[in-house]
Amino acid sequence: MDYDAIVVGGGHAGIEASLALSRIGFKTLLITQNLDAIGRLSCNPAIGGLSKGNIVREVDALGGEMAHLIDHSMIQYRILNRRRGPAVQAPRAQADKFTYARLAKETLESEHNLSLFMDTVVDFLLDPTGKRLTGVITERQHTISANVVVLTTGTFMEGKIFIGEYDAPNGRLDEPSAIGLGTNLRKKGFPVGRLKTGTPARVRKSSLDFDKMEVQDGEELMMPFSFDYDSINRPQVPCYITWTNEKTHAIIRDNIHRSPLYGGKIVGTGPRYCPSIEDKVVRFPDRNRHQIFVEPEGIGTEEMYLNGISSSLPEDVQWDFVHSIEGLEHAQIMRPAYAVEYDFINPQALYPSLESKLVENLFIAGQTNGTSGYEEAACQGLMAGINAAQKLKGEPPLVLSRNEAYTGVLIDDLVTMGTKEPYRMFTSRAEYRLNLRHDSCDQRLTEKGFRVGLQSEESLSRLRQKLEKMETVKDLLRQRKLADKSAIQALKMPEVTMASLQESIPELSGFEEPIKYQVELDVKYEGYINRQERQINRFEKLESLHISQDFDYDALDGLSTEGKEKLKLVRPISVGQASRISGVRNSDIALLIVHLDRGGHRER
Amino acid sequence: MREYVTDDIIYALATPWAQSALAVIRVSGEGCKALLATRFSRPKSLKEAGNATLVHGYLQDEAGKKIDEVVAAVYTEGHGYTLEEALEFSCHGSLAVIKEILSLFSQLGMRSAEGGEFTFRAFLHGRLDLTQAEAVQELVVSQSERSRALALGRLEGSLKERISSLKQQLMQIMAAVEVQLDYAEDELDEFVFPRTQLVDLIAQLHHLSETYQVGKLYKSGARIVLAGSTNAGKSSLFNLLLKQERSIVSPINGTTRDYIEADLSIEGIPIRLYDTAGLRESSDSVEREGIKRTERLIGQADLVVFLVDSTLMGHVPEEDERTLVVYNKSDLAKPPKGKLAISAQSGEGVDRLLHEISTRLTSGFSVSADELLIIESERQYQLLNASEEALGRALALVDEDIPLDITAVELGEALDNLGQLTGEVTPSDILETIFSGFCVGK
Ligand SMILES: Cc1cc2nc3c(=O)[nH]c(=O)nc-3n(C[C@H](O)[C@H](O)[C@H](O)COP(=O)(O)OP(=O)(O)OC[C@H]3O[C@@H](n4cnc5c(N)ncnc54)[C@H](O)[C@@H]3O)c2cc1C
Ligand SMILES: Nc1nc2c(ncn2[C@@H]2O[C@H](COP(=O)(O)OP(=O)(O)OP(=O)(O)O)[C@@H](O)[C@H]2O)c(=O)[nH]1
Ligand SMILES: [Mg+2]
Repeated sequence: MDYDAIVVGGGHAGIEASLALSRIGFKTLLITQNLDAIGRLSCNPAIGGLSKGNIVREVDALGGEMAHLIDHSMIQYRILNRRRGPAVQAPRAQADKFTYARLAKETLESEHNLSLFMDTVVDFLLDPTGKRLTGVITERQHTISANVVVLTTGTFMEGKIFIGEYDAPNGRLDEPSAIGLGTNLRKKGFPVGRLKTGTPARVRKSSLDFDKMEVQDGEELMMPFSFDYDSINRPQVPCYITWTNEKTHAIIRDNIHRSPLYGGKIVGTGPRYCPSIEDKVVRFPDRNRHQIFVEPEGIGTEEMYLNGISSSLPEDVQWDFVHSIEGLEHAQIMRPAYAVEYDFINPQALYPSLESKLVENLFIAGQTNGTSGYEEAACQGLMAGINAAQKLKGEPPLVLSRNEAYTGVLIDDLVTMGTKEPYRMFTSRAEYRLNLRHDSCDQRLTEKGFRVGLQSEESLSRLRQKLEKMETVKDLLRQRKLADKSAIQALKMPEVTMASLQESIPELSGFEEPIKYQVELDVKYEGYINRQERQINRFEKLESLHISQDFDYDALDGLSTEGKEKLKLVRPISVGQASRISGVRNSDIALLIVHLDRGGHRER
Repeated sequence: MREYVTDDIIYALATPWAQSALAVIRVSGEGCKALLATRFSRPKSLKEAGNATLVHGYLQDEAGKKIDEVVAAVYTEGHGYTLEEALEFSCHGSLAVIKEILSLFSQLGMRSAEGGEFTFRAFLHGRLDLTQAEAVQELVVSQSERSRALALGRLEGSLKERISSLKQQLMQIMAAVEVQLDYAEDELDEFVFPRTQLVDLIAQLHHLSETYQVGKLYKSGARIVLAGSTNAGKSSLFNLLLKQERSIVSPINGTTRDYIEADLSIEGIPIRLYDTAGLRESSDSVEREGIKRTERLIGQADLVVFLVDSTLMGHVPEEDERTLVVYNKSDLAKPPKGKLAISAQSGEGVDRLLHEISTRLTSGFSVSADELLIIESERQYQLLNASEEALGRALALVDEDIPLDITAVELGEALDNLGQLTGEVTPSDILETIFSGFCVGK
């Protein structure tokens, strides 16, 4: 074997996968089409956001890299939804795109176990049984062998971009797509489908009229995404807000027939949660304006990103409608908006470890599994990397539960239900979101990262210190009286905050912000979290009823026809997972439990 | 999927939902003895009872008020039908009593069992041996198919539509909240919680769940016992209401010895009416036995009509929810002012009495029997109730200005309960509602 592991693709999934494998100690090769495009932020110049910010911190707690990259490239930091409640608050940062990608490549290069190679993978090598992967074949006809392969092709597998009547075989504008692999995977029987997504135009900063826009500043205090340090100090730049108007909408409506989407050229399904401006205009005709965030792409560039108006209309139409918008009347369009359509593999063909059910030793992650978003890609890349390493070590995979991480929710959703549109994380996808707060990711995950060999002793002891400090703060609050109650009881009231307590308890100022923040949330949410505990216990019970992978569903009389079919397709690892498959009935689950019990899987 | 876990306590009425002499209510699950001891007149005896023993006592509410005299059959873990710690309460078969006991159990946090669930637990715990396995597999399938059919199929026509509409309304509220949680503040229009819609929904749920109790009443009827001292005119009134001479009337005290029962309908409510032996101290052993029976009947009645002889007055009991005091022989003596008075001889005031009886039986329900929609199963009722309660808590949170992520927990619980009636609601359903109703996404 040339390598222990090969990672295909240097996007956000590939970065995490290759770092995990090489850091755990395996000799790893990253093959990617273009070394200069490693870690490129294809679309919006931002990391984090609701539930996504939590994912970044989960990746960090497990020992991944994304948080470090954004911490050292951010140019604006905000906590979103402060008023909506702690369970759904999340950090979001604008990134300097160039710094982000450069740091990503530098980080990869600094790993001595990791080699980088520029080429395109076009096929897999299988052993004679055809059921085990042994290596890859590249466009320039290199044959490279490895024990495990992680596939992260992003929007590049048979990618095709659209701008009005124009189309080209690209994964991103002017970046050639990876041709051949998709066809070969289809031949090998992989369930390959098409999805679509889009990106807005980039305009030149000096051609914009910011006086006509609203300024949106970041928070004064930047807090790191990573749990490894307590503060960061980076320059902050503002974003701007403007709106489309009736004139914009009229231009779009008049030219809708020229959109490849409405004209039928694009067959892939696009995301409903992130519609193009033409979708918004068509689907919500009553709205007379749509919001646009004008975001800097970096410090050393004039390019600004027009968040909210992604489009696949022809460039002359883009030109017209952009200029109809206040503040953008004289905007110089530097890069056009475009849509991209690409191959994805139905993730129901994966085990929760992200290993393929079809071909052993192949792990798949990122946009290839039907997701969209950097964070979604990163967490899968990390889990695929960890589990490929577990496989190499001969140890059981690390599967995160739905009640410990959004990453767990995401992977479980994908492998259990598959997806018909690009899958993005939402807090409402999680049953127990009160438990998935971003500030407590380390408590749930750091130790798991340590056990698989990714996290350091140092991170563990940092976590211990943090917990100790939190206890100290809680003790302090318990001891102090405010009027008729203890400070800790007072903090349960909605109008009392840690900041307001600090006035009467000056000692609090001696503790770091993240510590105080978390104590505050712990205290405020205690009652509700306890209430969920019982539900969670039940949930866990079903999750812990394991079903073996060679379970013979055909031999089980009484299963509904549809239920049997779905169970055979998904091959759930637990009764809990089985119960989430659509089409599987309650009676099917009852039968399964009864049968597993008979088989002695349950001790009494 | 909550019915396939065995770590909670379930209960169910084992005898049919109907007026009868005796009803049996089963409870199964670890900790049920200790939990129910908190509502039992002899907590220690119940808690410490060994397997296969009978414990006699009273079930009582939180305040210690007696609900009914019961006999509890106790099974410890490893015994009994489910092989779990279990209790079987034999209680009086009056609908009012059953209703009260079931609601006590539900308040204690126990769960109304699904069809077949006791058998399912019995099977899981190895109660049935391998040779029976196949038979039970079939049972499990058919039972849970049936309970599914009950949950879905039973909701027919307008009732199903009504519940779907409630669910739809709740999903709209939920989507309005979830979109706020899943998109950043600055991406959305100014948010105002749809309070009016929530208040309206709570009222609708309340209205619908009340039809259950009313439905029960009109379907299974009520027991009314005529009681009072001897010669008060009970038998006279009994005959008058039945419009026939069923009971012997005479001026001799203690004419009626054993009770007589007959069916009639009062304003559409099916009534079983009992004429009883008059209450007095007696040395006659036959009469004493008759009085004992009267007392037992009084205990089981949905309503006791206590007749007072206006010419003598004598003992007048306190009025309460279950006791209606009526002054008879208004033709002979003037009854106290403002009190319900009749003459069982002339029939004066009887119409008012009938109306008062029907008002008493339906009191607290805002729906009338003319309404078509009626919740029929206890399960439906419980789920609607749980949903209504969760929404009530959500409303309180909104009014206290508590952050939305908490409010969403309560809304989710309400939706989960409704979903169990008409089919589960998944996160994707909510997202679907969001995407079709809100223009979101940068
Ligand atoms: C036009 C466009 C619009 C987008 N819009 C959105 C959006 O609206 N919202 C959102 O959340 N996300 C959007 N994204 C998605 C976001 O960029 C991706 O989700 C994220 O980058 C996925 O990460 P990844 O690692 O899976 O793949 P990518 O970041 O795409 O990286 C894949 C890498 O693998 C390389 N590669 C692919 N195949 C091979 C091969 N066979 N051999 C060697 N190397 C290979 C590619 O060159 C590339 O460098 C958009 C992306 C594009 C291009
Ligand atoms: N004037 C008058 N006499 C009444 C009235 N109601 C009952 N009586 C008379 O009172 C006597 C007792 O009536 P019953 O109906 O037998 O009384 P009861 O309550 O059934 O008595 P017991 O069976 O002995 O307990 C009879 O002589 C009745 O005719 C009334 O409203 N007016
Ligand atoms: Mg009589």
